Amino acid sequence: MTVVLAVCVAVTFGVSIYMMLGRELMGLAIGVFLIGHAANLSILAMSGSPVIQHDKAYQTAEFKIPPVLESDQQAKDWSEAQLIKAEHPEQDVVNPLDEMVDPLPQALILTAIVIGFAVMGFLLTLIVLTQRRAKTLDVNELAKMDLPTPSQAH
Amino acid sequence: MISTLFLTLIGADNGQHASVAGPALVEGAGSSSRTLLLLLAIFAPLVTGLITLFYPRKGITLRVLTALAGPVIAFLLLLNHFNVNGVQPLDAGSGPVAEISWMPLLHLNLAFLTDGLGLFFALLVSGVGALIVLYARGYFGKNEDDLYRFYPTLGFFTTAMIGVVLSDYMLLTLLFWELTSISSFLLIGWDRYDKHAVKLAMQAFVTTGMGGMGLFGGILLFGMTTNVWTWSEFINFGTWWQAEYASLAFNNPVFWAFLLMFFGAATKSAQFPWQYWLPGAMAAPTPVSAFLHSATMVKAGVFLTGRLLPVFGGAMVAADGLRAGLEIWPWLVTIIGGFTMVLGALISINQHDLKRIFAYTTVSQLGLLMCMYGLGSFAYEHNGHLLQNIDFDITQIANHAFYKAPLFILAGALGHVLSRNITELNGAIKKHPAMCITIILAGYGLAAGPGTISFQAKELFLYAIYHLKYTAVGNWWMLLMAAAIVTATCNVAIFIRLTTTLIGLPGGFKADPNAIEADHHHHEHEHGFWASMIWVPGAILVSFQYIGGFVPSLWMRVFGDLEVYNNNYFAEGIPTFWGAIIHGIHEFSVPLMCSGIAIVCGIVLGFSPIFRGTIKDVCDKIYPGIYWLAVTGGGKAFRLIQTGNMRHYTVMVLIAFLSVFYFVSLGDSKMFDLAVSQLGSFNEFWPGVFLGVIICTTALSLPLVSHRIIRILLLGSCGFTVVAMYLVYQAPDLALTQLTFEIISVVLFVLVIRLLPRDVPKYRPNPIWRIALGTMAGLAFGWMTLVAVGADPANKLGMWFTMNSYEGFVRDVYNAGRGGGGKNIVNVILVDFRGFDTLGEITVLSLAALGVWSLLPSRRSRKTS
Repeated sequence: MTVVLAVCVAVTFGVSIYMMLGRELMGLAIGVFLIGHAANLSILAMSGSPVIQHDKAYQTAEFKIPPVLESDQQAKDWSEAQLIKAEHPEQDVVNPLDEMVDPLPQALILTAIVIGFAVMGFLLTLIVLTQRRAKTLDVNELAKMDLPTPSQAH
Repeated sequence: MISTLFLTLIGADNGQHASVAGPALVEGAGSSSRTLLLLLAIFAPLVTGLITLFYPRKGITLRVLTALAGPVIAFLLLLNHFNVNGVQPLDAGSGPVAEISWMPLLHLNLAFLTDGLGLFFALLVSGVGALIVLYARGYFGKNEDDLYRFYPTLGFFTTAMIGVVLSDYMLLTLLFWELTSISSFLLIGWDRYDKHAVKLAMQAFVTTGMGGMGLFGGILLFGMTTNVWTWSEFINFGTWWQAEYASLAFNNPVFWAFLLMFFGAATKSAQFPWQYWLPGAMAAPTPVSAFLHSATMVKAGVFLTGRLLPVFGGAMVAADGLRAGLEIWPWLVTIIGGFTMVLGALISINQHDLKRIFAYTTVSQLGLLMCMYGLGSFAYEHNGHLLQNIDFDITQIANHAFYKAPLFILAGALGHVLSRNITELNGAIKKHPAMCITIILAGYGLAAGPGTISFQAKELFLYAIYHLKYTAVGNWWMLLMAAAIVTATCNVAIFIRLTTTLIGLPGGFKADPNAIEADHHHHEHEHGFWASMIWVPGAILVSFQYIGGFVPSLWMRVFGDLEVYNNNYFAEGIPTFWGAIIHGIHEFSVPLMCSGIAIVCGIVLGFSPIFRGTIKDVCDKIYPGIYWLAVTGGGKAFRLIQTGNMRHYTVMVLIAFLSVFYFVSLGDSKMFDLAVSQLGSFNEFWPGVFLGVIICTTALSLPLVSHRIIRILLLGSCGFTVVAMYLVYQAPDLALTQLTFEIISVVLFVLVIRLLPRDVPKYRPNPIWRIALGTMAGLAFGWMTLVAVGADPANKLGMWFTMNSYEGFVRDVYNAGRGGGGKNIVNVILVDFRGFDTLGEITVLSLAALGVWSLLPSRRSRKTS
């Protein structure tokens, strides 16, 4: 699954950069929106493939469980296994991340989604205001406008 | 008054003084009180200066007396320290005496080094400081506003300067050093409404501040290389360092440390090519010029060079065994000092403003003192002994203070009553005899005439030049001697012109009837005790010149114990001037002959009509040039980069990032291997592949369509496929959140499009560079994703969260059995383990909401506007 995700990241990222380099501010907004997806997917890839290795081809895929504990006993078993492993490193014990997907990237993405949405809303507001004040959304025309440059502002 | 006090104290303590000839440092219980007393001496001027702020504005006499108390207390405490403890011997202890911890980790503690050089400067600063307090009362008259501001600033400077010369920790010296720069800035820009003065204050501050940065760098480099952070250790550092660091190699950190430190010293002491700030600093009121810019602050660089001399100059005589210093020292210091000396003298004679004349002679004299320390690293043989080529450096420094400060004081006084322009002062002696006689006496010191201590000092300097003959320099000593003769000639000529003008003799300047009268500093004239303070401090200081000239034994009693460099050639002390002359004639001495040549030439030049105009120093253009380059040139460069075009910024950031990324990755085979290993483990869930294809297709078709609604629908479908991808990745929380926000976003986009005009985008061919940049960026990020997944450590941090989100099982130091208490691990991470992060996220969301709300005007407010 990692390869699929990497291809998705590459394509969405490339397209969003292409959109951001356009002349129109709405294209820029679309690019920013898309780049958020690209970044989230790339973080998601860090949690590793959710598909447990299966030998037989054309069999229904077997997935890891989502990061929700079924019971507190489950976590207890994992911890005790790790304690055993700490004393006997040669012993092969079950690693929780072999059974469950990594929860940490998901927590990070959740934060990123919310912040990305906030930035998006603010950006769209600015675009509406720019259209109202400058009567154009073309980046080149905006740059040519006689707005105060930093050196003149002093 | 002060001088009598000084003399009685010295006289009264004579007996005790003799008994502490050896190293008599009080150790143990008394030693921390030693540091505290020195701290008190350092901070007394500042404290009394600040106290004057609380007085009513009319209480002028009280204000003066309080401000006077600070430097006097400092002076008496230092004198007492000198009498009780004597001069701290340099070759005894190997570390600071009685330090009080301040910031030990940063090698910055309170400890003071009271060697001869430091103690001399501290006494000079506090003593002259007291006289300047009195002079300021005479100069400013009854101007309450000026006096109200002046005394605290002066106290600030006095404290900073005493701190510079007494600190043992190098970084403490630096701290006070920068404080003197700041106080100098405040005092030069005294007239806040005079834009020119403020500009000159900036010039002085930037120049000396840059030097301060150089000193900082030098101290850090030296300290980190050798782990020596105090001057007392530094001076005792020489025995073992030579093998490691003495070479003139460019990878030798000590060499660079010295260069940086000398840069600091040279800017502070106005050495070529940084001498421009000192004449510019004459915009300050004359008390400041007399104190900071002639007697004390500008000598900080000379002081620092004197501190560095024993190690970097390689000059400390221990029974003929001379140390080797840095090979660059004699050349660098001597040549820069010697050149500054001649340059300052030649410019000074071509000036009309008294303060500018004396400013350039100060530059010249500072060059001479630098040159003296440069010569000090040579050694010559005499009577079978190897001698260091420096004698009585403190006398040579002191004599300058004792004529230059009076010259400035009297220049201010004459400017007060008549004019500061020498061409307008013809015959001034009839109106103001006392002032004119004092300035002539001080000018005689400038000319180094026989009878003043300057004469002997100049002889010592000329001897040092002459002794170069016996060193590797050989006959090149004549070049330096010629420079010294030119300098002395100019000084004598200035004295001749000053005298003839003031007395009204032929040869002096005549008033130019066409000259427009410059605006000077007028007050209603006062009479009485306070009014006389405008010249009396100068007379007190200049009296030391003649004491030294006629009674060198008394001079030696005051300054002799402070001297370090005292060859047995002059074992009996400085000779009287007639003794020196008779001895010189008897021996047919070359230095004396050179002195004579200089005096004759100076008299001729003084009466001659040449060099009577005014010239400008070329170096005055340096700072304005740099300023222009920074402001105008910087503005041009700024406009080149800051185009205001969004796309240019994006392209610049991207190109910077991509070039670094590809530069690093293409040279690293590991980056390839990791990515390829991921490609190899192609173990796919086919519905997932299908989702990936949808994401890619929708994203790729976005640039191809131009209709806005279709674009948004494509964007939405891409987003919803990402939601499905989250589900495949077993992330129900993400899927739910993304679904909600995706719906809101699509609605928001549609709303925004409704608010925008129906603008049909023109067809534009897609430029190839956008595609290229997009492809490069996409490849880079896809590659990075593969590498990041492949580089995953076996033991992920996520494992810890899975085990501890409900209850902490592994009891370790980080976790006392406490868990998050929830079964949804992602939730627990967000609200418990990373709670503050989530709080920040909520803040961002609220701020964005506030921004949107405030930016979009409501219908009601639109009506009013």
